[in-house]
Amino acid sequence: MRVVIAEDSVLLREGLAKLLEDEGIEVAARAGDAESLLLKVRSYHPDVAIVDVRMPPTHTDEGARAAVTIRELHPEVGVLLLSQVIEATFALRLFTESPAGFGYLLKDRVLDVDDFVDALRRVARGGTAIDPAVVGQLLGRTRPDDPIATLTDRERSVMELMAEGRSNAGIGHKLFLSPKTVETHVHAIFSKLDLAPAPDDHRRVLAVLAFLDTRAAEPGGRS
Amino acid sequence: MRWIVLIAAGVVLGVFAFDIQVDDLHSPTERAAAQVVLGWTYVAVGLLAWIRRRGNPIGPLLVAAGLAWLARQLRYADTAALFTVFFLLGDVCYALVGHAVLAYPTGKVRGRFERGIVIAGYTTALLFPLAALLLYDGRSQLIQMQPIPHENLVGIADSARAVELLQKTEVIVLFGVLATLLLVVIVRRLAGATARERRMLAPLLVAAVAIVLRAVFECVFTFVDRPFAYDYLFWWQFAAVIALPLALVAGLLRARLARVAIGDLVIELEHTPTSGLRDSLARALDDPSLELALALPGRRGFVDDSGRPVRLPENDPRRAVTTVEHDGEVIAALVHDPSLLEERQLVQAVGAAAHLALENARLQAELRAQLALVEESRARIVAAGDEERQRIERDLHDGAQQRLVAMAIELRSAQRRLGGNLDPEVERLLTTTVDDLQTAVQELRELASGIHPTILAEGGLAAALDSLAARSPVPVTVTATRDRFAPEVETDAYFVACEALANVAKHARATHATVTARRDNGVLLIEIEDDGAGGARLDAGSGLRGLADRVEARGGHLRLDSPAGQGTRVVGEIPCAS
Repeated sequence: MRVVIAEDSVLLREGLAKLLEDEGIEVAARAGDAESLLLKVRSYHPDVAIVDVRMPPTHTDEGARAAVTIRELHPEVGVLLLSQVIEATFALRLFTESPAGFGYLLKDRVLDVDDFVDALRRVARGGTAIDPAVVGQLLGRTRPDDPIATLTDRERSVMELMAEGRSNAGIGHKLFLSPKTVETHVHAIFSKLDLAPAPDDHRRVLAVLAFLDTRAAEPGGRS
Repeated sequence: MRWIVLIAAGVVLGVFAFDIQVDDLHSPTERAAAQVVLGWTYVAVGLLAWIRRRGNPIGPLLVAAGLAWLARQLRYADTAALFTVFFLLGDVCYALVGHAVLAYPTGKVRGRFERGIVIAGYTTALLFPLAALLLYDGRSQLIQMQPIPHENLVGIADSARAVELLQKTEVIVLFGVLATLLLVVIVRRLAGATARERRMLAPLLVAAVAIVLRAVFECVFTFVDRPFAYDYLFWWQFAAVIALPLALVAGLLRARLARVAIGDLVIELEHTPTSGLRDSLARALDDPSLELALALPGRRGFVDDSGRPVRLPENDPRRAVTTVEHDGEVIAALVHDPSLLEERQLVQAVGAAAHLALENARLQAELRAQLALVEESRARIVAAGDEERQRIERDLHDGAQQRLVAMAIELRSAQRRLGGNLDPEVERLLTTTVDDLQTAVQELRELASGIHPTILAEGGLAAALDSLAARSPVPVTVTATRDRFAPEVETDAYFVACEALANVAKHARATHATVTARRDNGVLLIEIEDDGAGGARLDAGSGLRGLADRVEARGGHLRLDSPAGQGTRVVGEIPCAS
């Protein structure tokens, strides 16, 4: 797998590159700002571009805007956005525009190397990786008549991992469950939340996140 | 005494004029009466102006014109002396009326051109009849006179042709040339006048009409034999000529009424709030365009009644400034129509009458100006604080947080590279260190978000409140508008919710809280309510007190309703334009 890293902090950029190379991932190029990122994506055609949200010159959302451009110009290149802070609404907006091959993670998730590499591979394959904190923000609060409240604790854990973009196998691995058990839970979740079954992983993520989002956006009933 | 003499002269002259018109000129009774009424009107109205506007020569001029008009009728008498004297003086009345018109409204004739017209008027009205008399043979027909011989006391030569020529020339000069010049002056003055002056000069329009009609009448009478429209014209010009003094004096007395208004002004100001001061002064000065500038103490410039700085006009021909002083100190300036400069005394009198109210208004304006300054600086302090927060957040984000993450990655990288070759103790140490670093990064993130939440700028208030609620240990229901507001408005609302929810978590022992944010009539309403113990107070030093200060600095309010045992409700109202 080949990646391009865009990160303005040299320490972080080099550290991340070294870590990924140790994991057998080819770091094709490194960029310190959005402009050189776009140039390098065009030249190297990586599987995934790992992009810091805030970059020079304004340190606001240059990375995010570059990500949108990459999705438009090179749909085959996956984008994994790294952020210091989590902002669910913002992530969701980017994600729902083109869910395939998209990831949004906190920077320190890199430290859980196996999980991070797993997420990276999912994005490279056209899958999804959503930070647990985003799911947490969307899911955080409940109200009495919330359909989420009808889920069992186990089902809720499965749903959270599902929303992060993990496959059934990944969920099973994480929760020490057999793939068949996971599938049963997934089925139960979809029927309890009144969602149509989704054929592939990222459609499934989309359905779950969209559900969480609309639930959050219901007028008068946001909780 | 003087008045009685003048009135007596008017009455006597009137009676004589009537007799002579009827007996010697054989005029119809109503026309003879009209001539007398015309003269008496000038005298009466002139006396009124004389008494009410002492020092203004228009009154005396009109009285003189009226008397001269009545006296003019005596030239039709069958007596040599009367004919000679009053034929000589008969035309002076026209020059007097022209003089009065040019002197309106101040009484002074301004400019060489206008003075020239007045002098030319008197000269023409005296010299031409004199020359005609000197050449008159006492037999031939005089223009405008009855067809009988008139015994002439001063004749020195006989030239009927020269007399006719002189008489016709006089009419051309008086009613052709000079009347036209007078009209030009009137039109020029009206055209160059400000709005206030124009109202003041309106009587000149009546004068202009009278002059035109009289001039046409005179010319027709002089140059056309037995004009067929004579009767018709007579009554028209009569109406206009009698209206002329009425209009002039009405105009003068209107200005005089303004003086009377000073008395009313003093009484009115007793009951007028500062905000109505300008209107009262504008009414008293009869100048709707009046602007009031209040002087700040210590020569710190002028402000309007709401405390905003005002620049006084300089070198503006359309505006004039009169300062009002009290005890040697300038307390206010009146910016007014330049026509009021003619009535400087009136303006000064109005200023003096209003000085208490002006003093009062200027102190209020100063207070407002100071209050505005304090409010501005207060808002600036809050804004500076917000900026500083933002800067600290960015520093933490780009500095410490990045560095810690980089360090942790470095360690993790080393740990994995060395893998199994590591001493278990070192391996454990590395793992805990990376875990600790990760916790530190998380804590730093929380801290930075508390200092200045990035989510607020990027996702708006609703998103930020959601994220806040997600972190709250007490379940929170958020109902928030998706509208975006100015950054400082969102920041205020966010921090109010932040502090209130922190209090809920720390003190309230609540099971549930609600956060509501909505737009309501130009304010953003943020409301946080819990079902806890209540009893919270807006004490000095509490976080809520600081927030109340912040919201008030923005011109808003923060209310706290927290009866013991009945939950707590915090309501912030933050003005948000549109």
